[in-house]
Amino acid sequence: MVIRTLLITGLLLTLAVSAGVRFSLLLALGLLIGFSLERFGFGFAGPWRRLIRERNAQGFVAQLVAIGLTAVAIQPIIAFAPGTLIGAIAPVSLTMVAAAFVFGLSMQMILGCGSGTLVNAGSGNAIALTALPLFCIGSFLGTLLVPFAIEATPHIPISLTESFGVGGGVTVTLFGLVGVGFLASWYSAGSLWNKKLLIAGVILSALAILHVLVAGQPWGVVYGLGLWVAKAAQGFGWDAASAQFWIHPINAQALQSSILTDTTSLTSLGLIGGAALAAWKDSSVQPFKQPIAAWYFAVAALFGLLLGISSRLAFGCNVGALFSGIASGSLHGWLWLIAGFAGSIVGVKWRDQLWRRASEGLS
Amino acid sequence: MSRRSGIVMALVFAFSVVGLDWSLGVAPDPYRSPDPMAYGSKSGASGAICTFAPGAEQ
Repeated sequence: MVIRTLLITGLLLTLAVSAGVRFSLLLALGLLIGFSLERFGFGFAGPWRRLIRERNAQGFVAQLVAIGLTAVAIQPIIAFAPGTLIGAIAPVSLTMVAAAFVFGLSMQMILGCGSGTLVNAGSGNAIALTALPLFCIGSFLGTLLVPFAIEATPHIPISLTESFGVGGGVTVTLFGLVGVGFLASWYSAGSLWNKKLLIAGVILSALAILHVLVAGQPWGVVYGLGLWVAKAAQGFGWDAASAQFWIHPINAQALQSSILTDTTSLTSLGLIGGAALAAWKDSSVQPFKQPIAAWYFAVAALFGLLLGISSRLAFGCNVGALFSGIASGSLHGWLWLIAGFAGSIVGVKWRDQLWRRASEGLS
Repeated sequence: MSRRSGIVMALVFAFSVVGLDWSLGVAPDPYRSPDPMAYGSKSGASGAICTFAPGAEQ
């Protein structure tokens, strides 16, 4: 434990000196988020699966609490610092909704969402390790498709804060979350409250608020993954000037800069590291490979790819669009929730069928 | 093979991403770093964010 603490401290100090204090703080936040998610067993795909299959809404309710607490803090903070702090506001469109549906389906197939795939990979999960590289490639491919999607269908960003004012935006967000909570409680077959998950939700909310204060923007995951592959593709001769997404000054700047100065890259790397730290102690007595047929890993790779493509077309995953979008007062976060949950219902059924076949005769 | 092997693979992946970027790209310049916190400073968000939709009405 002492050695790990010294290593992490050294890593953060090195980053602070070589890149800047803000970037070191962002990596630290990523590490804390990854550690908390893994240690508390808090996630997004798993709780949705338990709600759909077992009518257990505890994890889902903890998510709503976390989003609500974050919304109460960040909507006013962002509104009172225009030009400095930005919210996770994205357009709503047909392609965005369809992509959120595909993401919801895909995250059930590999039991890992945007943050979940990184955390699961960091904790040594073989399926997540298979899906992660394809998730990154998919995120890059998605950036190439985004301009076509935007040209093909109307994309309209709707901010609740701009529509109703700060107080109105927060109120509408909280009413929406309470409404969804009532629906979940109506469907739930047991208690709604789980102390451990609620504590995790409060911690996640605090870290998400700190993320806004440090980075100036809400927590996200997939942008960084696509950026890594775009940089690698450049190394292999790909011309970024040929891609409409990457010639935009913000993205072109990100391509020319170190990933150690990119917000989502740092927190995503931190998620992997934090989960690794949390899982390290018990990992030596746990088996690496799950008792399933090899072909399921090809399925995981395919849905990892779809996870990446769909998250770009949906303007975020469960973190950037669902968590940060709703907390920022973006209507697209709400549509993401509905479409993603519908996709998850299909994904849970497909995953059960395929998993049963993949496990037959092997367990 | 234990799950620890998987953790090592994930860490190798993460460090490879940083190493590859370092070898291909520009090293970070601490003299151009923004203020430690965006809140209360003039150096705000980078804008490179998951919800960014270039070409759409922003």
